[in-house]
Amino acid sequence: MRPHVIFRYTGFVVLLNGIFLFISVLVSALYADNSFFPLLYSGVVSTLIGIFPIIFVPPRTDINNREGFAIVIASWFIACLVGVMPYVLWGGPFTFTNAWFESVSGFTTTGSSILSNIEALPMGLLFWRSTTHWIGGIGIIIFVLSVLPSMGRAGMILYRTEISSLAMHNFHYRTKGTLKVLLYVYIVLTLLEIIFLLFCGMNLFDAVTHAFATIATGGFSPRNLNVAHYNSLSVEIVIMLFMILSGIHFGLLFGVISGKISEIWKSTIVRFYLFALFLGTLITTMSVRVHHYDTWSESLRYSAFQIISLGTSTGFATADTSIWPSLAQLIMIFFTLQCACAGSTSGGIKVDRVVIFWKAFVKRINQLRHPSAVIVSKIDKVVIKEDELEVSILYISLYMGVVFLSSVLLAALGVDSLTAFSASAATMGNVGPGFGVVSSMSNFGHIPDIGKLILTGTMLLGRLEIFGLILFFTARSWK
Amino acid sequence: MGIRTKIFSGFLILVIMLAVAGVWSIYELRNIGTSVQQLLDDNYKSISAAKMMIEALEREDSALLLLMLGRWEEGRSIMNSAEDLFQQGYKIAEKNLTIEGEKSDVDDIRTKYDSYRSLWMKPIVGTKHERNLDWYSKEVHKAFLEVKVSVEKLMSLNDRVMYQTASNLKDRAHRAIMPGIVSIVSALIFSLIFNYFINYYVVGPIIRLTNGIREFLKTNKTFDARIETKDEILDLANSIKEIMAQKKINEST
Repeated sequence: MRPHVIFRYTGFVVLLNGIFLFISVLVSALYADNSFFPLLYSGVVSTLIGIFPIIFVPPRTDINNREGFAIVIASWFIACLVGVMPYVLWGGPFTFTNAWFESVSGFTTTGSSILSNIEALPMGLLFWRSTTHWIGGIGIIIFVLSVLPSMGRAGMILYRTEISSLAMHNFHYRTKGTLKVLLYVYIVLTLLEIIFLLFCGMNLFDAVTHAFATIATGGFSPRNLNVAHYNSLSVEIVIMLFMILSGIHFGLLFGVISGKISEIWKSTIVRFYLFALFLGTLITTMSVRVHHYDTWSESLRYSAFQIISLGTSTGFATADTSIWPSLAQLIMIFFTLQCACAGSTSGGIKVDRVVIFWKAFVKRINQLRHPSAVIVSKIDKVVIKEDELEVSILYISLYMGVVFLSSVLLAALGVDSLTAFSASAATMGNVGPGFGVVSSMSNFGHIPDIGKLILTGTMLLGRLEIFGLILFFTARSWK
Repeated sequence: MGIRTKIFSGFLILVIMLAVAGVWSIYELRNIGTSVQQLLDDNYKSISAAKMMIEALEREDSALLLLMLGRWEEGRSIMNSAEDLFQQGYKIAEKNLTIEGEKSDVDDIRTKYDSYRSLWMKPIVGTKHERNLDWYSKEVHKAFLEVKVSVEKLMSLNDRVMYQTASNLKDRAHRAIMPGIVSIVSALIFSLIFNYFINYYVVGPIIRLTNGIREFLKTNKTFDARIETKDEILDLANSIKEIMAQKKINEST
């Protein structure tokens, strides 16, 4: 492995962060707040550190898979470290651990926060906080590859490493074409949501930060009460719509934009995703109607928002779900684990794997009934290969294993079991809020520092889909 | 890009990083100085004026009791000096209106003090008020407490603002220290990367070239040192190759 090559490509990532830090500086200057210098200094340092390897190391396109993995993992770690800078420089509640938690939560689009008084933060810093979502949502490397001129084979290796194999379905283009599609859909969705939210009466700053958080399926809001602050049905409907869209494979969304509307309805994954959200909303509505709300419309309004928010791994909230009945909470935990479709900005196990898992289960049952029959599993008339089935089942097992391990570690630190499990599941799925102490209207500030570090580990594991991080840490044993 | 430019850019980056951190720290330290001055000017002065007024009020109360006991001379003397002290404190407070709501507190002190003063300005010794504890407890002491409460209100207002300013000072101190810490850590990481690049792109090729020349002198075998950069090192390698080729031609002729 050649460290200088890794430095060069991670340099681009640091530089990209520097550019967004300078945009945040402009926001800070516009509102004349006290985050100007922390953001400016962070911008200067990251630009300088980012640009140096690009100057020093000559361009290389002959990177191998190992280096590709190292670049992707290192980029995520370094981006999160850059994200820490403005927070620790500004001070307030941001110790290093808190700043690291907020930064990792931002870049991995988890949306969990340690802040109890978000509105006390200066506008520039709030903007940077939302920007981390927007950069991380599409994937740091994808962002860099999309805006840079062709990197040849290097770009392809990085793209394949960053994007999961599941997500590659539905992209009918070469690497550069796919990157363009991703960025195009991402920007169009963001702009559309900003316009819609402005029409709903939101101010520009709130509209932009909420759009960043929605399209990236992040969940950071500049308001203490999250989306509940606006108490506006129209705002909630717009956010719900864009949360659902952000949970669909971007290749299919691009198809819709380019006139192939039927493709989206033909997709088994999308149909399952939408049906699951519908069913989850229905059960939750009935559950909360009995115990908490006076009218059906009120129950539907709050249930739909909470289910869609968790089912797309966004994590916005309009109600305190910690006081909802157990049935509703269990449904929400299911969505916290499942989340949305591969190829979107969503985290979690993903609908695709859940469908594959179900197909594998059906196949095994049929095989037991007819031992000598040749049975194949298909999704949208495409045969699922044996290794794809195996990898999906292995992924789900590992995923649940990590959630369990993280829960045990948190419980060992004195965190109650509901909080420990829901916090682990919510961070692993990059969802955001859990239940118990870390519920939708609370924060992660009460978790011990070591617990916060464990949770940032699960956030990164979830974002990099486990295998990436395992491969990175076993780099020495690669042959 | 030449080695000179690359090395220069490395040092320039280090200098910029440290300079910006330094400038920012100086700016924040200057602000700390201003805040400390503000703390002393705006709040501490008013608090000390309020303390002066409370002390004066306590003395006036003692003097009043002496007058009620018929000790006219002693009582008047203490009363006069206490009143001077009160007026002195009041003037300081009146001239130091720096906080929102401070003016109304100062005006309130004036009104209440005037009504308190009117009670003991009239003669006491030899009148119906002498040894009249009922009058003292029902009128005088009540008025005294009212003035004292007003002065304490002014003091607590300034205390509160002083606490806020002190908290801001803590934040400012944090902001003055953090750029230093961040720049030290960044400079350290940067220096390590810089050192690695110098080793890989400058020192490494020079060692390879030196070894190649030694090998050539020993065995007369030409070499092809791997040079990845298009800079002075590549020029040097090409020149060495030319010399070797020339030497071989000379030897063969």
